[in-house]
Amino acid sequence: MKSRWLGLLLLGALLVVLVLLPLLVNNYWLRIATGALMWAGLACSWNMLGGYAGYINFGHSAFFGLGAYATALLMADPLGLPFTVTVLAGIAVTAACAVVIGAPTLRLRGAYFAIATWAFAEVLIQFATVMDFTGGIGGLSLPPFLNERFFYFAMLAAAVLTYLATWALFERSRFGLKVKALRDHEPAAEAMGINTALVKLQTFVLSAITASVFGAIFAYWVTFINPRSVFGGDITDQMVVMVLLGGLGTLWGPAIGGVALFVVNRLIWMYWGDTAFYIAILGAAIVLVVLFLPNGIAGLFARRRGGATVLDKTVEKLARAGGGDRN
Amino acid sequence: MSAATRPQALQPAAATDPILVVRGLHKHFGGIKAANGVDLEVGRREIAGLIGPNGSGKSTLFSLVSGTVTPDKGEVRFDGRDIAGQSAYKVARLGLARTFQIPALFDNMTVTENLLAAAAEGHWAGARERAAETLALLRLEHVADNRASDLSGGQQKLLEFGRAVMRQAALILLDEVTAGVHPNIRKIILEAIAGLRERGVSFLIIEHDMEMVRNVCDRIIVMDSGRVVTSGRFEDIVRDSEVMQSYLGRPQ
Amino acid sequence: MDLFLQTLLNGLLIGGVIATFTIAFQLTFGVLHVIDFAVGGWVVLGGYLGYYMVAAFGLDGFVAIPVAFVLFGAVGYLIGPILYNVRNSRTARPELMALALTFGLFTLLRGGMLTAWGFNTRNVTTALSGESLMVGPVTVPLIRVAAALFAVAIAGGLFIFLYRTRYGLAIRATAENRHNAALMGVNIRRLSANVYGLYAGITAMAGVLMGAIYSVNPESGLRYTLFAFFVAVLAGLGSVGGALVAALLLGVIEAYVATYVGSSYSLLAIFSTLFLVLLVSPRGILRRGL
Repeated sequence: MKSRWLGLLLLGALLVVLVLLPLLVNNYWLRIATGALMWAGLACSWNMLGGYAGYINFGHSAFFGLGAYATALLMADPLGLPFTVTVLAGIAVTAACAVVIGAPTLRLRGAYFAIATWAFAEVLIQFATVMDFTGGIGGLSLPPFLNERFFYFAMLAAAVLTYLATWALFERSRFGLKVKALRDHEPAAEAMGINTALVKLQTFVLSAITASVFGAIFAYWVTFINPRSVFGGDITDQMVVMVLLGGLGTLWGPAIGGVALFVVNRLIWMYWGDTAFYIAILGAAIVLVVLFLPNGIAGLFARRRGGATVLDKTVEKLARAGGGDRN
Repeated sequence: MSAATRPQALQPAAATDPILVVRGLHKHFGGIKAANGVDLEVGRREIAGLIGPNGSGKSTLFSLVSGTVTPDKGEVRFDGRDIAGQSAYKVARLGLARTFQIPALFDNMTVTENLLAAAAEGHWAGARERAAETLALLRLEHVADNRASDLSGGQQKLLEFGRAVMRQAALILLDEVTAGVHPNIRKIILEAIAGLRERGVSFLIIEHDMEMVRNVCDRIIVMDSGRVVTSGRFEDIVRDSEVMQSYLGRPQ
Repeated sequence: MDLFLQTLLNGLLIGGVIATFTIAFQLTFGVLHVIDFAVGGWVVLGGYLGYYMVAAFGLDGFVAIPVAFVLFGAVGYLIGPILYNVRNSRTARPELMALALTFGLFTLLRGGMLTAWGFNTRNVTTALSGESLMVGPVTVPLIRVAAALFAVAIAGGLFIFLYRTRYGLAIRATAENRHNAALMGVNIRRLSANVYGLYAGITAMAGVLMGAIYSVNPESGLRYTLFAFFVAVLAGLGSVGGALVAALLLGVIEAYVATYVGSSYSLLAIFSTLFLVLLVSPRGILRRGL
C-alpha cells in the first residue's frame, strides 16, 4: 500500500508542477516543455499499438500529419473554422484512414502491417507534395495565435488525457487484457473468445486519433507546416526510439523515453545545429536498445523489484509482503 | 469453487442429445488427408478419450472443431448449432474451450492475468473471484504473480488447463494436458476434471497414457489415418487385441 | 510509338537491376524471417563505394562491383548472426524487435551517410557513361544495357547456386521450413550469416549499378527500400520466383509514370500501387506469401 500512496503523491506533485510551470519559467523554456509534452503523448500513442498489441506501425507520422493538415486546411482562409472543430475533423479523417489501412492488414503477420503503414505515410508525403490544395512542397500557413500558455496547456491537457486513457484502457480494464493476450498469443486469444481482428483495429484507431490530436495542436502552435515537417519518417523514428528506450508496453516508459530523447534532441540542436547527426544517433539508439536493453528503462525498474510489468495489484501485494522475495 | 466451475451453457431442459456431433469431416493439407470423414459424438457430461497413433489426425480434429482451422466439408454441431467453419472466437463464445498441445500461454502476462484474460470475453462479473478460486483449485496461488513464461513445464500445463476452466465452457477439449507432468500435477488435473463433470461439463481428451485413459474416460474413441475406426468402453477396446495392435501398436 | 517502346525497354532494364537485390531480399526473409528495412542503405552504400573508387583511385566504376560484393558481403556476414540472435531470442516479441533492429540500422546508415557526405548527389562514372545503343528506332543508354546484363548474370548465378548446389538446397529447405531444416542438420545460425552476407553483397553490387545509371544520395535509400517492399508485397513475402516478375513490373511502371506523367509522380504511383495491393490482396497477388 505504501508504494501506491507514494506513487500517487509523486504523480500529484508532478501535476501541480506542470500546471504551475507557466508561472515558473520564461517562454523559451515553456516552449521546450510544450514540445516535451507533445513527444511524451505521441510516444504513448505509438505504444498503444506497438507496445500493448505488439504491432509495429512504421507510418505513425501519417496520423500526426493528417491532424495537422486537417487543422491547417480548415482554419486557413476560405473556411476559417474554429480550432475545436478542426481538431474533431482531423480525428474523423484519421479514424476513417486507420480503419481502411488496418482492417485488411492487421489480420496478417505484423510485417505486412509495418509495410502498409510505412507506405501510407510515404503516400501522404508524396501526395501533399504534388497537390496544390495542400500547398505542395511549400506547405501551409495557419492564422498565427501567439499565446505560448494556450499551447502549453493544450498539450498538457492532451498528454494527461492520453496517459489517463492508456492507464484506464490498457492497464485497468478487460480491454487491456484482451490486447495483451493477442499480443502474446493470437490463436490462444481467439480460443478464449477474443475477436482479435476487432480488438487490434480498435487499438489502432485509438492510437491513430491520439496522434492526430497532437498534430492539430502542433500545426496551430508552429503556424506553418509542410509535408516533411508533419508526415516525415523522422517523426515516426523518434516515437519508435522513445518507446523502445522507455520500455515497450509500459505506461510510463514512453513518457520517460519521450522526455529524455526530446531533451537530447534540443541539446544537439543547440550545440551542433545538425539534424543529420541526430538521425544517426536515433538509429544507433534503436540498435543499442534492441540489443542491450530490450525492456527499456522501465524494464530496469521492474526487474529490480523482482517482477516484470505486472498489474499494480501485484506491486501492492509485493510491497505488503516486504517486496522482492519471489522468483 | 462452485462459481469457478459452473458451466456457461447448462443444459436446456431435458437435453439428452450429444453436446458435440461431428459428421463426415474432411480436411486435406496438400496431399495429406488430416481428416478423412471423421464421425464422432460426445455426450452430455461425458468424458470421451481420443486415442490413436501420432499423425492420425487427433489434434487436427481439435483445430477443426474449435474453429482454428476451417474444414473442407462436413458437419460440426455443438449444443445443437452448426459451427463448422465458424471463426475460433465465435465458437469459444458459444461455450467450447480448448487447450493447446504445446502450451500457448500469454507469456508476458502473470498467471492471474492469464486467467483473467480467459474471462475477459464472456462472464466478466466475478472474474477476479473465479480466478482466485481457480488458482486454489490448481494449487497455483504461490505463483499467481509470476510471469507465465517463468513457470515450470507442469505449471504451464496447469495454467493452460486453468484458462479453459475460466471459460465456464460446456465442453472442454484437452490436448495431452497431462503429458509429461509430475504425478502430483496430474492428480490435481484429474480431480478438477472429475469436479467439473459433476457440474455438467463434458470433455473430449486426447491422451497417450493408457492408465489415465482407463481411469477418467467413460468411452474411448480410436482414430487412425484421419478417421474414427472404433469407439467403446476401455475394457472392450483393450480386449479387442486386433485394434490394440493395428492402431495403438502395443499388443496386450 | 517509339517513345512507348523506349520506355518499355528502359523499364525492363531497370527492372532487371531491381530484381537482383529484391530476389536476395526475399531469400533473406525466407531464411531469417526478418524484413530488412536496411536494404536501401546497402544499395546507397554500394553506390558511394563506386563513386569513391572512381574519384579516389581513378578506376572504372565497373571495378567497384566485385569490391562491393566482397566488402559488404563481409559486413553482412557479421550482421547476420546478430539479426538471427534477436529474431530467435527468448525475450518478448522477437519478431517485432528484429524489425525494429533493421529499422534502426537503416536509420543509422542514413544518418551516418548524411553526416559524412551531406545531401550531395553522386554518381558512378564508367567507360560506358554517356554512350548509347540504337535498337531499331529506340535509343538506349549503353550503361543500362550493361547494368541489365550484369544483373542477369548475378541473378542467373544466384539461381544456379540455389538450385544446382547442395548449399543452395539447404538454403531453400530452410526458407521452406526452418524447423525441418534444423532437424535435417542444417546449422541455421551459420546459414543466416552466409545468406545475409550474400544478400548484402548482391545489394551493394546493385547499388553500384544504380549509381552508374542514376545517381545516389543518402536519402535515396528510402526509394530502394520501397522497391524491395513493393516487390515483396506483390510477389508475397519470401517468394523468390515471383520477385523477378514483380521487379520487372516495377521497373516498367516507374518508367511509364516518369515518361508520361512526370517523375515527381513516380514514387506516389509506386506507393499507391503497393498500398492498394496490400488492401486488396494483402498476401501478394503473384503467389500466396507466408
